[in-house]
Amino acid sequence: MAETRSCDEELKAAFPSIVQDHAAQGEFSHFLVPKDLLPAITHYLHTQSSLHGRLTLLWAVDDRPVRDTYGLHYLFTLEPSRRWVLLSTELAGDERLFPSITPHIHAAKWYEREIRDMFGLIPQGHPDLRRLVRHEHWPKGAHPLKKDFPWDRILGRQQGEHHFRQIEGEGVFEVPVGPIHAGIIEPGHFRFSVAGEPIMQLELHHFWTHRGIEKLFEQQELTVAVPLAERVSGDTTVGHSLAYCQAVESLLQLEVPRRGRYLRSLFLELERLHNHLGDVGAICNDTAYALPHAHCGRMKEQVMQLNDRLTGSRFLRGVNRVGGVAMDLTTVQLAEIVAELDRIEKDFSELESIIASNASLIDRLETTGVLTERTAWDHAVVGVVGRASGLDQDLRRDRPFAAYDELQVRVVTYRYGDVRARMRVRMDEIHESMRLVREVRVKIPQGPVASEPNLRPQTGEWALSAVEGWRGEIVYLVMAGENGKVHRCKVRDPSFANWPAIQWAVLGNIIPDFPLINKSFNLSYAGNDL
Amino acid sequence: MFRILKKSLKTGVVTGRYPAAAPTVEAPASEAKYKAKPFRSSLAFRAVDTGSCNACEMEMNALANPVYDVERYGVHIVASPRHADALVVTGPVTVNMERALKDVYKQTPDPKIVIALGDCAINCGMFKGSYAVTGPVDRHIPVDVRIPGCPPRPAEILNALQELRKSTDSDKD
Repeated sequence: MAETRSCDEELKAAFPSIVQDHAAQGEFSHFLVPKDLLPAITHYLHTQSSLHGRLTLLWAVDDRPVRDTYGLHYLFTLEPSRRWVLLSTELAGDERLFPSITPHIHAAKWYEREIRDMFGLIPQGHPDLRRLVRHEHWPKGAHPLKKDFPWDRILGRQQGEHHFRQIEGEGVFEVPVGPIHAGIIEPGHFRFSVAGEPIMQLELHHFWTHRGIEKLFEQQELTVAVPLAERVSGDTTVGHSLAYCQAVESLLQLEVPRRGRYLRSLFLELERLHNHLGDVGAICNDTAYALPHAHCGRMKEQVMQLNDRLTGSRFLRGVNRVGGVAMDLTTVQLAEIVAELDRIEKDFSELESIIASNASLIDRLETTGVLTERTAWDHAVVGVVGRASGLDQDLRRDRPFAAYDELQVRVVTYRYGDVRARMRVRMDEIHESMRLVREVRVKIPQGPVASEPNLRPQTGEWALSAVEGWRGEIVYLVMAGENGKVHRCKVRDPSFANWPAIQWAVLGNIIPDFPLINKSFNLSYAGNDL
Repeated sequence: MFRILKKSLKTGVVTGRYPAAAPTVEAPASEAKYKAKPFRSSLAFRAVDTGSCNACEMEMNALANPVYDVERYGVHIVASPRHADALVVTGPVTVNMERALKDVYKQTPDPKIVIALGDCAINCGMFKGSYAVTGPVDRHIPVDVRIPGCPPRPAEILNALQELRKSTDSDKD
């Protein structure tokens, strides 16, 4: 506590004109900052060694119906203390310009372009002001998250072409890939510039699956929007619905019963398991080593069938609800889970030794797609990818949610940041998840699994919530509107933070290794595009 | 080497180890069955995601795992629309994917069938009406088969494909 106070004091001493908002005391520090000071203060937060702030979320809110302002909010995680610091500023009246922090902080690049597309606010000094979410055929002036933009407007079409950064020179070729790929994966476009085999540059052109999720949230009531959160990214059903529920619960000041919290941890670990099992196999498959893929596919299927038997959904849909979980598990079911996972763990350990003893596979994975710790830090990379590059961060330990305050999570980190490191993080996390499930079974208390909401939040109240999903940290901001509706819901899937980093991880590698590197990141397109 | 053999022998055959799917609600239309006639012994499909949440993709990928092993029915997943007999489309058609879907349809050689997989592809599901969604798949290209579910289980997808390619009494002519 003394440490957090000193961080706040340090910031206030360096910038006397900022005002601390004490309403948020306890959970995080909140400062109101004059707009022009933003670049300086964020730079200070990011670089000062005692603070070492990582940009976690940057969002805008259209407050015009009530206050004639746009709000801009910058959330940083201070690495030494893991504390959140939130900086807020406002654009009053007709102001449309705000100073860009991207020249100092790489991680802000996509966030600021997104704000420009969705709100029509312009980050001044941003090095790259091309459209991001709105593809070039969207009509001018269509900024969907402005409150005066109807959610069901039919968009016209205009002529337009996306301009990729080009490298010119003898023997430099461009290779376009996507949006429709060769495997069964989601749409995204990759533009490679190559000279011979090595990749000189990769540029992403995403947001093909943009479905307007944040706008759809605003049409829903707080307590019933959980199914939409489950469909942000299908493979992270539990992670997203849990993050959403937690945000709404803190708005409604709702305490989730302990048994409910334990079950949430259990389901989150089951989701982590089936995804990680699938990924380990898929990484091997991308080196044309089909045997582990077949075994992992089988084990993943076992976990998904287990999910189905327990909850009636292979993706654990409908499990989370505001106030707790929608279903309880019996002692017999808990024993069944542990027995099934014991079998799978033995099975998987045998497979691990097969994988580890295959020299040609390891040769292919080592030193491929290296993401250095420095690059990962600069881009505020989260989750599995970050931990494989040596960033020691895991919300289950750093900001405990669900039942993780009572469960001891061992965080897996590797230093090398190559494909092998990312695979090994997953392998170790599979064992750790199974151990956590066993711990849940031992420690789970009796009692109710959910509590009923009985409070209606005040218009304009908001809450943040963060969950360590299987991919990495999922952050939600939910702001209450009138009549129990959602005024603003900002969704940040870990994919949004990690996609830009892949552009650096592939440099110098050959194009045939790109699918392998991409698979080792395994980012969601749907969660990124929203 | 021995480790691999031992593992394979110990594992045995896992194909078919899944709970039976609920019977399909509606049988495929007779026109669809007629169109699928050339593909009865072999069907090559290409997946196109036009804005799905990726759950449908995961279930399609599961079709290829040893448990469901869709290839034993002569169904192949191919890498290009030009190699495909069928397009399997998932997700509501987003504003950004509309062109790509139409292009893919044009690139698929005739005769071809289009399968709309999942509730989103059939009626836009939860995303109905959004500014970023242009409508269900059949607003843009003709759809022959619909497999409902959010997402449909792999066993249900298998069932639907089997139903589609089953011979009927009217085949005699």
